[in-house]
Amino acid sequence: MYRGRIERDFALWVSKGLLSAPSAEAMLAEYDARESSFSVGRVLLTLAAVLLSAAVLLLVAANWETIPRIARVAGIGALIWIFYLSAALCLSRALNGIGAALLVMGTLTFGGAIALVGQMYHLSGDTVDAMLVWLAGACVATIVFRSGALAVVSGFLSWAVFGVLVMENKSTFEGNGVIYLVPLLCIIVIALVRYTGASRARHLAYLLMLGWLGWLYLEISEPLLAAVFFVVGFACFLAASLPVSPLHRLAREAGAAPSFYSFLLTIIGLAALHVELDGVGPNVAVSAVTLAVSLAGIGIAGRMNGAVRYLGYAVFAGETLYLASETLGSILGTSGFFLISGIVVALIAWIVIRLEKRLSAKPAVEGV
Amino acid sequence: MLTSRKPLIRPLFAAILVALLQTAVLGYMIESRASILRNGTDVVLKTIPVDPRDLLRGDYVILAYDISTIAPDKVIGGFPKEATDARMSVRLEKQPDGFWTVSEASFSPLPAKAGSVVARTQPIFYYPTPDAPQLAVRVDYGIERYYVPEGEGLVLEEARNASALSVTASVDDTGRMQIRLIAVDGKPLYEEPLY
Repeated sequence: MYRGRIERDFALWVSKGLLSAPSAEAMLAEYDARESSFSVGRVLLTLAAVLLSAAVLLLVAANWETIPRIARVAGIGALIWIFYLSAALCLSRALNGIGAALLVMGTLTFGGAIALVGQMYHLSGDTVDAMLVWLAGACVATIVFRSGALAVVSGFLSWAVFGVLVMENKSTFEGNGVIYLVPLLCIIVIALVRYTGASRARHLAYLLMLGWLGWLYLEISEPLLAAVFFVVGFACFLAASLPVSPLHRLAREAGAAPSFYSFLLTIIGLAALHVELDGVGPNVAVSAVTLAVSLAGIGIAGRMNGAVRYLGYAVFAGETLYLASETLGSILGTSGFFLISGIVVALIAWIVIRLEKRLSAKPAVEGV
Repeated sequence: MLTSRKPLIRPLFAAILVALLQTAVLGYMIESRASILRNGTDVVLKTIPVDPRDLLRGDYVILAYDISTIAPDKVIGGFPKEATDARMSVRLEKQPDGFWTVSEASFSPLPAKAGSVVARTQPIFYYPTPDAPQLAVRVDYGIERYYVPEGEGLVLEEARNASALSVTASVDDTGRMQIRLIAVDGKPLYEEPLY
């Protein structure tokens, strides 16, 4: 990924004499030393932590009848203490990788402990309640340890809550209302991500929000809701992507994600509108808007944001293929639509190329 | 972008705080059950057969009781007019044969009365059907699952389906229930210790 690309570019710049070889090496060394850079060892360590916690929990879950129940509970409680205390020991000696793995083990053990106590004491409680208690425990641990690894665990747990709600058919409007908490969970996870700096976990929160909106649309399949998705998504996209927007700085701190996911919501809204609306007039309108939105995405955010650019290309290509197969009224009508679209897009391209030339010429003039 | 950030408090304090909190949650789960067994009133309940294909899910036995079905004529105070997530209050009274059965039930709280206990059901999703005759209401009390060691579930299920299984449950003042004893043909098979 980025590491590979940057190494290739450095090699090119060194060979062209733009960059000295020692500087390039120093820059790469600095990148590799960053906490976020991918380390096979650290990933394996975390996976080992997950496996070990699972092993420990299953060992207890095997229902050892020979050991008294209270002793089993004490054993699980002791495991939680051992994991967190040894994590603290590692963290205070700057063994951050092992520390994070131990924190993950402690938090997973807590979840297993809830399930096991429920099983040993025949508490036929609600799975959703148990998941929420687990998530709350994970969030508290994330905050007090300020741990990125635990922020990731919290992100996955918020997904698990949503999954259990949907699978257990608890996700009804008249139900106990927990399904409405899901957007709140997204906000909590994003807050944890910003606080701990575990930037990659933010995708879990954005995807959860989109998943919840998808659920909402399945519950109320109305053109109005699809239109709301489109309008709100595009408004968020503009707010996150346009440099004049007051939210632009905040969104840029979060990387490519805010622009991309709001753009994705726009596209989901448009896709739903395709399904909802009938008749030539509405179809032509939605198709034209979809093509315009994909171009707007590429034009506004495409330069800095590869994800939006590729989604824009994919939507443009998909919409074109859809129109070619769908015939608007008559084949002649579709052909006319493409003719007009082609001329409009060519016109836009001409304007954009001129603008880009002017924009790229400007800094050079200023720099002199 | 992702640098090690300064922790909120020293790791040792954080560890103690988190472990203490999580142990407390587990302790609360155990103690809230124990308090029902310690302070509750015991009721003996008759179990009824469950669809045999839905018997053993994992390692627990599903129990259903004759008090799990509330006949419409037992319900006082009327039914909700709109679909809702509701709990019911169910008054249990002892019969001459020693088993406790439903004497009345309501969607609003029932007052305490000598010689009876009031149990609270788990939330049920109630959906009114105004044009159809009122059907019986299926409720749960939180005592429908009993975990057994691997392989021991079958005995209980056979006894349950032969209607030979009885369950003694404790009901506390707020109507929460917990299983105290499971008996086959009146002989205790599993007796639950407090902890």
